[in-house]
Amino acid sequence: MNTSPTVVVGYDGSEDSTTALRWASRLTRAVGGRLRIVHAVGLLEHAGLLADHVTVHRETALGIAAGAGADPERIEWSVVDGDPCSALLRMTVPPQSADLLVVGSRGSGAHEGSLLGSTSLELAERSVIPVTIVPREGEAQDFSAPV
Amino acid sequence: MKLVVAGPTGTTEHDGGTFHPEQQARIASVMDGIRALELGDEVVYPPTPKAELGDLIRVHSEAYLTELEAFCAKGGGDIDPDTFARSDSWNAARRAAGAGLAAIAALEDAGEGVGFVPVRPPGHHAERDRAMGFCLLNNVAVAAASLTARGQKVLIVDWDIHHGNGTQSIFWDDPDVLYVSTHQFPFFPGTGRAREIGGPKAPGLTVNIPLPAGATGDVVRAAIDQVARPTIEEFSPDWVLVSCGFDAHLADPLGDLALSSGDFAELARLVNEFTPRPGRLALFLEGGYHQMALKLSVTDTLGALLDLHTHPAAPTYGGPGMNEVLLAVSERRRAMEAIQTTMSSVEGGR
Repeated sequence: MNTSPTVVVGYDGSEDSTTALRWASRLTRAVGGRLRIVHAVGLLEHAGLLADHVTVHRETALGIAAGAGADPERIEWSVVDGDPCSALLRMTVPPQSADLLVVGSRGSGAHEGSLLGSTSLELAERSVIPVTIVPREGEAQDFSAPV
Repeated sequence: MKLVVAGPTGTTEHDGGTFHPEQQARIASVMDGIRALELGDEVVYPPTPKAELGDLIRVHSEAYLTELEAFCAKGGGDIDPDTFARSDSWNAARRAAGAGLAAIAALEDAGEGVGFVPVRPPGHHAERDRAMGFCLLNNVAVAAASLTARGQKVLIVDWDIHHGNGTQSIFWDDPDVLYVSTHQFPFFPGTGRAREIGGPKAPGLTVNIPLPAGATGDVVRAAIDQVARPTIEEFSPDWVLVSCGFDAHLADPLGDLALSSGDFAELARLVNEFTPRPGRLALFLEGGYHQMALKLSVTDTLGALLDLHTHPAAPTYGGPGMNEVLLAVSERRRAMEAIQTTMSSVEGGR
């Protein structure tokens, strides 16, 4: 990492992405880095047809980041066309470039162990920079228990 | 025989519900559009078996195919916010891909006519190892790869409003496939800049003409005529396949271009000029989400190719985008020069 690392975080307004945004904000505060919040806009969202649509507001995202300690002067907001995985990957490579990619976990039983349907797993597989997958709040595993 | 209709598929399977724009009703609208042509026994419907693994593996990774099949076998789910799979989607996707192969085979047997492949799920966003943009398997790519495997050169014209990122990436470095796309930009999926021109083994064989929202039919035709035509004529294809989305229609809810159904008729005539001989043109349904626009566009497009007097809607003129067409020419030239410089320096260093 350089002296002022750039952290990219995916944000779609969901609870999991909000958790990831808070975590990334705290990290950038701790390391003095820049925070790039990326929201991917797909086919359905562009047309206003997304089921269970969560309206994503720039102000909301910036407020969450600032509330978690990120320096408002060092926060970027990017809306990118594409599916979440492609859009986030595009924002981590030149000419953008970044040092760390942060996403929420958002797993479900149906997708367990499968890249299909899991943006976080797919990003972990494809990203050329380190990826942090932030677990859902309250779902931290007890590693002292037998596995 | 004038028209080979390889399909329909996806009429009773791969059900994402009526809220989802990529729905079963689309195929009913398309078939209404074909019926309106009143072709009688001039239309044939060849059998459309599912594509075999050997057909799919030419364009998709084995790992992805295995994963998609297993995902569907477990009941499927949402792959991304746009794209779904159901328990029957693996077979639906294989049927859609197989329909394209059936169209090619029927045209080869007949040595005449035009092929039309009304299938869902659509295909042009599907990449070698991932589904996206409503697409699971890349139908037009499967058909094109079956032809290049036999030494044929294939032109793919993609006039869907969205850039066919999957088709582009699959044939990025393939000297036997020329990929030409007109699409709204900036827009989903975020790819398709004019400077994306192909890999080192196929420099210039990807032709992207990004267009602004509001572009009309005259702009799309100029894009193909002025930017792509020289490359197409030099390439001299044996086959012409069209990724035939109708979502550039003015009424479509997913896009912001401003074409009429008559514009698709004009585009079809233009693209048909690149067909080397009868029986070498096939159109693959991609997008198109306004049911009436879909029906009318199918009628006008196929009517134009079959020289029927279907009274198509008037073509559209005067929208923005002519500057972007000119910019695409210069941006391609600069990208080609950059590739040639790189190749010269690599050769000079040997």
